[in-house]
Formats: sequence, structure tokens, C-alpha cells
Amino acid sequence: MRIEGSEDVEGAVPLSQQEEWADVTPLPQDDGENPVCPIAYTDEYRETMDYLRAVMARGEVSQRALALTTRAIETNPGHYTAWTYRKRLVEELAVDIGGELEWVSEISEMYPKNYQLWHHREALVERLLDPADALKMTEDERIAHPTIRRELQFLANAIDEESKNFHAWSYRQWLIAKYGLWGQELAFVDTMINQDVRNNSAWNQRYFVVLQGQDPATVTLDAGLVLREITYAVENIKSAPNNESPWSYVVGLLLRHAPAKLHTELMPRISALATAEDYHLAMTTTPFYWSALVDIYEQQAKEQPERRAELLGQARSACDSLAAEHDLIRGKYWRYRKTMLA
Amino acid sequence: MATKLAANAHVRYFKHCLNMLPGELASQDASRMTIAQLCLVGLAALGRLEDSIPAAQRAGMVEWIYAQQVPADGRGAEFGGFRGGSLFGPHDACEYAPANSGNVAATYSALCALLLLGDDLSRVDRGAAVAAIRRLQQQSGTFAPHPGTTERDPRFIYCACAVSAILDDWRGVDVDAATRFIVSCCSFDGGMTQAPFQESHGGHLYCCVASLSLMGRLDALPDRQRALRWALLRHGGGFQGRVNKIPDVCYSFWVGAAIEILGGYGLVDDAAAADFGLQCEADIGGMSKWPKHRPDPLHSALGIVGYSFCRPDGLPRMSPELLLPEHVVKRMEALPIRRR
Repeated sequence: MRIEGSEDVEGAVPLSQQEEWADVTPLPQDDGENPVCPIAYTDEYRETMDYLRAVMARGEVSQRALALTTRAIETNPGHYTAWTYRKRLVEELAVDIGGELEWVSEISEMYPKNYQLWHHREALVERLLDPADALKMTEDERIAHPTIRRELQFLANAIDEESKNFHAWSYRQWLIAKYGLWGQELAFVDTMINQDVRNNSAWNQRYFVVLQGQDPATVTLDAGLVLREITYAVENIKSAPNNESPWSYVVGLLLRHAPAKLHTELMPRISALATAEDYHLAMTTTPFYWSALVDIYEQQAKEQPERRAELLGQARSACDSLAAEHDLIRGKYWRYRKTMLA
Repeated sequence: MATKLAANAHVRYFKHCLNMLPGELASQDASRMTIAQLCLVGLAALGRLEDSIPAAQRAGMVEWIYAQQVPADGRGAEFGGFRGGSLFGPHDACEYAPANSGNVAATYSALCALLLLGDDLSRVDRGAAVAAIRRLQQQSGTFAPHPGTTERDPRFIYCACAVSAILDDWRGVDVDAATRFIVSCCSFDGGMTQAPFQESHGGHLYCCVASLSLMGRLDALPDRQRALRWALLRHGGGFQGRVNKIPDVCYSFWVGAAIEILGGYGLVDDAAAADFGLQCEADIGGMSKWPKHRPDPLHSALGIVGYSFCRPDGLPRMSPELLLPEHVVKRMEALPIRRR
């Protein structure tokens, strides 16, 4: 469904010549005598804003005001007041929310970097499906609900369009947490990582799913789950060793939630790779391997005080390799990092 | 390959933007205050603001900025502060109140721009600006930018902290709550995020770290070393904003300034970082996010400030927390408005 007023503004009949607007006196912009960074407005834009100011000044709640916000937002999606005004109009005019969502989807295709539209979207979805009601259903029922299905499909498309779209991933987290959609998310994350193993947004989403949004400071992760994640990360390291994402994922996850596994589980696996004929060269020339060694040895030294000197020595020599050979741009950093390993 | 900034071309570019922006920037109409601030920041970072803009024009700009301040009379003080531009309409009676409310990002930009123009902030309604900030802080500690929106973001925590620091009035910020929220944005990979569990991002790292620094709470960071490392790992010539993204010149400021605040700028490869800035210079002046793209005021100003961190070339020293030259910060600290 198209929303009235959403046809291309260019070439449209000026509002001043439309019968519908005859009773409204446009309110021109007062930019004073010394405008700073004035914009070379098109006539259409200027007129749209003149009428929008007039309509807001009288607080008009009407279909034509809604159509005007459509025109305004389509040329200036950063007009945050037009968005909040529209939100009020949508509520007070009992606008069809499905149609409104379709329009917001169009705007997000036009302006993928806009912030406001995602918040507008959240509010619409919450009105279509009250999270409290949704949580009374089973997760399968929720996933089958048309509103949730539509949102997941919309997000899959948006992320397909731009796989690292910060706004889309952030909105996805909101949707997953708000409506308890944890069960299906790991499969989505897998698909995204399989498509592009360097998609760090997807790796980040993996952490979110593994923790199910619980407070990292208090959550306890099941040992089997941790092992599964180590295996997953190492498999992906194998396919592309010089990729920061799986390294920072697995080292970060373990440092936070299972530090002892850094040396009991991760270390043997990456050492095996580093000595295997097919992987030796790729592994031992990526800075991420050496930098993981620094973290692993440092952590192990904390846990095994009797081997502290030896382990810190290993960590320092990994810093040397980084500074001298594998991460030259951060040479100063690795020399500094080395001084902290005494 | 240039070895030095094309300062004259950049001055022309910023002056041009201050005088007129192209029509396609209508999408930035609500943020003109920020564009103005960035143009002035760019000129000031080159040490060229006073010589390139005549005093009379500077005085005119000050008038335009004050014209965007929401008068306190007749409406709740929570609507105080500055608006992002004049597109919202006149200040007098407006049935739709949020159309005439301050926006903490615009308030921050306005105060910085006024300071850059040599104004003493004596016409700033400090009480209203601070009251508005107090209303915008959420229970979780984060901030909304203006009344009537569900948007929340460390960008607005930063703006609230910067306004409070400039006005030397922290009554609008619950510092403990803001600090708690920022700490909750520390990610498993050492970076910082827009909200818990989101992807680490150089812009949010800056906002979080600069806010903590302005609040005097840097020590609340649970692992400063990992934050510093995450930031330094973004450095590959230029700086990238997220893991596995290509470098973008604005992060030479966002990430570079965060590194500076965390005390690690000496660890950056200055020559490589400066070189990337020079590659992003446009022939017509200004900088683009990537080499050989179109320049815009944000990437130009932040690219130049980022460049100034790594290769001073006699450029003024810039404060990493406030995006102002240090001599302007010094003058700000002596302003009478701060002693009220």
C-alpha cells in the first residue's frame, strides 16, 4: 500500500496551487541576516518545509499533515522533529501500521544510514505485537507470527543489501531480545559468517546469541557451549588465518568467560595448526596468531605462578616477533606491551 | 605525493561551506549547527580561523547561533538549549512543542562554535541548557538527544558531558549512572559500543572514553589496556571504525583522539597515519572519507584534526576531549559564565 504524498516530490503540483492547502498560510523560514551554512534549497523542499512549519505551529492532526511529513522526510530524513510529529500523527489518526511499515522500509532503502527511521519502526512493531503478549506464546509461535516473520525477512534483506549495516544489526538485537527469538538466531549468524567470514558484525552477533543477552558479568556459560565455540572459531581461523574476527571472538570470549581454556583448549588447537604443513605459513605470519599467544601466555602465567617467569618470557618473545616481523605498524605498541609482561 | 596539508585549499573549502551548502545537503538541514561547528573546527585546527573570516562576519555568525537558542520563557526549561538550525520555525507559540526544543547535540555544537568565534557565552541560558540535559538522561544512564524520541546513544552522553564541562555545571548529569552505562558498553573484544552487545565501533569508543575523561571517571574503565589495544588495532595506515572495515579518515580523529585520551598516542605510526590523511585530501580542498571521493565538512574537519595529532606541522594543539584548540579551552576556563 502506498501512502498518500509519497510520490516523487519533484514535478509534483506545488502545494500553493492545491485546493487542499488553500486555507493554510505557509510559514517561511527565518534565517536572519547572517545565515551560517545555508543550504541551496530546491523550490519544492522550501515549500514543503514552509507548510510543515505552518502545520506544526497549529499542531494540526490530519491526513494532509501526515502526507506532508512523508514529503518532508523523503527529502530530509534527518528532520527529527518531522519524525516525532509523524509518530504522533500515526497514533492519533489510527493510521494503518502495515502500510506505515512498508513506507519506513522504503525510506530505509533510500537512506540506510539514517537513525530515526529505526526508532519509528520499533514503535510501530511494538504496537502491532505487544511484547508481553508475544512472550506468552511459544518461540515457534512467535517466529510464525506475521509481524515477526515480516521483521525477520525485512532484516535479512537489509543485511543482505549491506552485510555490516550497523543500524540493521542493532535493530535485529532489539527484535531478538524483545520478542525472545533466540532459538533461530544462531542459524542466521552461521549463514552470514559462511557468506563472509570477515563480517565482524555477524561475529559480534554470535557473542550476543551465545550469551542470550545476559549480563556478561554474572552469566555462567556451559562448558560444552564454550568448547563448541572454540571449535567453531578455530575452524574459521583455519579457513582464513589472517582474519581478526574469529581471533578476537574466541580470545575475547575465553578471557571473559573461561580464561583457563585459553591454554588448555585453544592453545593446543592453534599450535597444531601452526605446525601442520598446510597451515604453518599462513598461521605463523598473521599478527593475530602471535597476539593470541601473548594473551594466552599472560593468562597462563597468572594461573601457574610456578611457571610464571617462563610463560611471561614466551609472551615477551611473541611481542618481539610482532614488533620485528609480523605487525610492523604497531611496532611501538608491541614493544610497550612487552614492558607490561615482567 | 604531498608531504604537507594543502592548508589554503582547505581554508577556501571551509569558507565556501560556511557561505553555502549544495542542495543535496538538505538531509543535513536539521544539523546545520554541527556543520558550522565542523567548518570552524577545521579552520581553527589549521590556525586560520581569525585570518580567513573577517571580524564582522564572525560577529554575524555569533548572532545566527544565538538565534537558534530556545528562549526559556513560557515553556518548560526542559526544552532549553540550542536547535540544530532555523528550519524548525519561529520560537513563539507553537502548538507542537517539540518543534521548538533544544537538541543536546546542537547545544554542544553551538557552544563549541561560539567559543571558536571568540564569544564569551554570556548570552547562553546556562540554567535552561543544564535543565534540558537533566531531563534527557535516562534511568539506564544513557541520553536521548531531544524530547519525544526513543533514540539513545553514547553520542548524546558525550554531548551532555561536553556541554556540562564547557559551562562548568554538572547538575544536569548523574555522573554515576552515565559511568555505569558506559562501562556496560565495554565489549568482549576490548572495544566500546552504542549499547550492550552491539558491535565495537570507533565513534562510540571516542564518545565513551571522552565522556569518562570529562567526568573524571577514566579509572572506571574495567580494562583500559584492552581498550587501548582495540583502538591501536584499528590502525593500518589510516584508521578503520570497526574490525575488518576499510580505513576512513574521520576515524583518525575518533580513534586517534580516544588513543590520545587513553594515553597511547605515542604508540601510533605517525608517518603512516599522516600519509593516509594526505591521500584523502581533495583537489578542491577538504577531505573525503576515502581517497579520491567527494569531500564533506565532517571528514574534512575531523581528518585535519586527526592529522594534527600525528604531524603537527606547526598546527595548534587540539584538545582530544572537546574538539577545540587548547588555547581556546584555556580562554574558556577563564570565562565569567563558569563562575556564576
